[in-house]
Amino acid sequence: MSMSRKMGTGVVIVGGGIVGCAAAFSLARRGRKVILLEKSVIGGEASGRNGGGVRAQCRDRRERPLAMASITLWAGLEAELGFDVEYVQDGNIRMATNEERMGMLRREMEEELADGLGVEMWDRDELRRRAPYLSDVFVGAKYCPADGTANPILASRAFGWAAKRIGATILVHTEAVSIGVQVGQVTSVTARDRDGEILIETPWVIHAGGPWTPQLSRTVGIQVPIEPARSVVAITQRMPFLFKEFISSHDLGAYCRQAREGHVHIGGVGTPGKTFDQTMPAASVAQLARGAARIVPALRGANILRTWAGTLENTPDKVPIISPVDGIKGYILASGFSGHGFCLGPIAGTLLSELIVDGEPSLPLDEFRLSRFAASPAPV
Amino acid sequence: MADQVEVAVVGAGPGGLSAALAAAQAGAQVTLIDGYGRPGGQYFRQPAAELRTRQRMRHQREGEALWEKALGAGVRFLPETVVWGAFEGNLLALHGPHTPAHVQARAIILATGAYDRPVAFPGWTLPGVMTAGAAQALLKQQRILAGKRILLAGTGPLQVVLAADLVRAGASVVAILEGSRFFAKVVRQAGALWGQWQRLAEGLGSRLTLLRQGVPFRPGWGIVAAHGTEQVESATIARLDSQWRHIPGSQETLTCDTLCLGYGFIPSNTLSRLLGAKQEWRPELGGEVPWRDIDMQTSVSGVYAVGDGAGVGGGPLAMLEGQIAGIAGAAQTGHGAGEVEKTIRHLAPILARERRFQRMYAALFTPGPGLYEWSRDDTVLCRCEEVTRADVRKALALGADSANEVKAIIRCGMGDCQGRMCSHLVAHCIARETGRPVAEVGLYRPRPPIFPVPVLALDRQLEEIASGAVSEAARR
Repeated sequence: MSMSRKMGTGVVIVGGGIVGCAAAFSLARRGRKVILLEKSVIGGEASGRNGGGVRAQCRDRRERPLAMASITLWAGLEAELGFDVEYVQDGNIRMATNEERMGMLRREMEEELADGLGVEMWDRDELRRRAPYLSDVFVGAKYCPADGTANPILASRAFGWAAKRIGATILVHTEAVSIGVQVGQVTSVTARDRDGEILIETPWVIHAGGPWTPQLSRTVGIQVPIEPARSVVAITQRMPFLFKEFISSHDLGAYCRQAREGHVHIGGVGTPGKTFDQTMPAASVAQLARGAARIVPALRGANILRTWAGTLENTPDKVPIISPVDGIKGYILASGFSGHGFCLGPIAGTLLSELIVDGEPSLPLDEFRLSRFAASPAPV
Repeated sequence: MADQVEVAVVGAGPGGLSAALAAAQAGAQVTLIDGYGRPGGQYFRQPAAELRTRQRMRHQREGEALWEKALGAGVRFLPETVVWGAFEGNLLALHGPHTPAHVQARAIILATGAYDRPVAFPGWTLPGVMTAGAAQALLKQQRILAGKRILLAGTGPLQVVLAADLVRAGASVVAILEGSRFFAKVVRQAGALWGQWQRLAEGLGSRLTLLRQGVPFRPGWGIVAAHGTEQVESATIARLDSQWRHIPGSQETLTCDTLCLGYGFIPSNTLSRLLGAKQEWRPELGGEVPWRDIDMQTSVSGVYAVGDGAGVGGGPLAMLEGQIAGIAGAAQTGHGAGEVEKTIRHLAPILARERRFQRMYAALFTPGPGLYEWSRDDTVLCRCEEVTRADVRKALALGADSANEVKAIIRCGMGDCQGRMCSHLVAHCIARETGRPVAEVGLYRPRPPIFPVPVLALDRQLEEIASGAVSEAARR
């Protein structure tokens, strides 16, 4: 039997995805003692397994200010973290194959312009002129020049490396198993690694566990209404330069970006199935290939080199929960990012650190409270 | 065009051909799939069609006979077909000129063989450095000599056979460097040679050819570096200690235009991994291999593995294993259920003899750990992505602790070969740097497609899925 170990810290962060790592980095930078617990490896789940899109357009209105603020942070990340995360602001094109979709995009544009996000509508001719590589099935598109992409594998890890460098303790292969609460106040987190259990005394817990959040939150009687979903990505062999924008079509069910090395990443739009299964279904490989070939005809000549699947988590309204939990002082949820966590990660980390250090975040988080789901029926 | 079959055999080398024949003779419908146009694999590799009038080697005649029997028994052959993925429900995804996009089989027999173990040392990426297998394929299939002045470095009798074939075909073999210093060991293991008359005769024939030509055979020697500007011009060699580390001060330089490396084989276990079969780390069998029970079934019901892909053991052993798996696979689909136990019992003594030989071979010719220390910091380990040993160390310094994590950070194994070339190199490098066993470090996790597959071919496959041609019926 191994002896149980004891540690103490200012903040425990559960989850080593981009949100947890960004929070660890922000808190460590502001002088807080931080221990981050990750059940497997840093950035190994949805944070490192996504399309790499960093966009503010086509967001829920509540989420838009966060996305815009996050993009400002993304622009300075390389300098701040000391790692090249391949971030570029080469624009985001959301295409439409029909007038109904165009109508939706137009309405969205009005809202976005009102909120200060620079976007423009392109008709068929403009789209042909600006993105001649696209198939002619599209009747138009909405374009946001400030949107861009980054390397998801590197970005989450870079936050982790940077946090560690400035003093955060990062424990990988270490799973948080319960949260200790006394008289309505967080007092500890119990974790388990291969050598046994560790008791960590702490007044604060940031819970950024992604799809695995509900099982730990249940240890303090909190139901978090999120469900897992499988996301899928296929990658082509290296191709000559084809396009620089992040392009997507809900009508054709796929998005594409060409990464720095020339590989084209193809992702599925929409995430069917409530599952933790991370195997790649044969049909999904073919669907991604078909989607890509229909969006960019030049990809008809490409070869698919690799695919992967990941697990993301959806809330009922597809907007994240970034919220202190009523009745448990010191317990903050940061989960349910619904596939948007990669872009939002940097700002989420900053706001979480402000909640703890300043007691007040620099952007309002009222729309992201857990309690907004209280009236809605429990998910099936 | 998606097919429901009873038994699908992947790989038409000795193991796959035998499995297909046995299953078909037991009454099962069998589909045999291979990446090449003609069955045979490396062991029975046939000359190209244009060269078929020439006299063929013994193995080629043997392979031809086995193939004719299989054909006669009703085996359907899908040539030039790559199996790029294996999915739940025993579904194999295929790509080939005239093949269905999917085969759904009630029993899958994996006879995927093995490939030459890459060894990284300064200069190993120069043109003119190739695997022994490549030189052999060129000779057997195309009747092409890999070079004029050829240096062979590796381990095991296969390179002696290759050297003799090269000499007979007119090349000059500069020397054969044998990593193992095995003479003492041979005496201890000699008992295992009982009954291996054909192998002994073949070995003796090769040795005589080489002796007549005065080809130096140097046991206990290995490669330090290959040199050249456009291609190999010379190689530095050195004596090896018992762990296969270079002995300082023993270096020599030999002039050559080709360097053939034959440091054993790595089992191709990607498909069994994709299907979720439990794996074991067995250095004496070539590395990671699927766990199997007595009838060659893996931990996944209905999935069998035979031959070098399940543990390097050579052609004759592969044929025996194939026979057993063929009968067992047929029984699983309702043909000749009573035969399995009888076959296993009947083959037991020959199988035991072949396993004895396999163990002896492994004891003599499994490379020592020093083989993976022949690289330097600036030596490329992943050729596709040009990742050096120093890069791997950088990833480790950032906290990576597995081959997968190193791959994520520095891209080794993300190239067109899907990590086949560098998987073992990187895993051993991590193991050495971190002082942990290779089994714990692990190899890269395979991801479909395991060979690059055209977008258009996938698009076509979607039609099949949509039309419901892949039914639930075959899933049992």
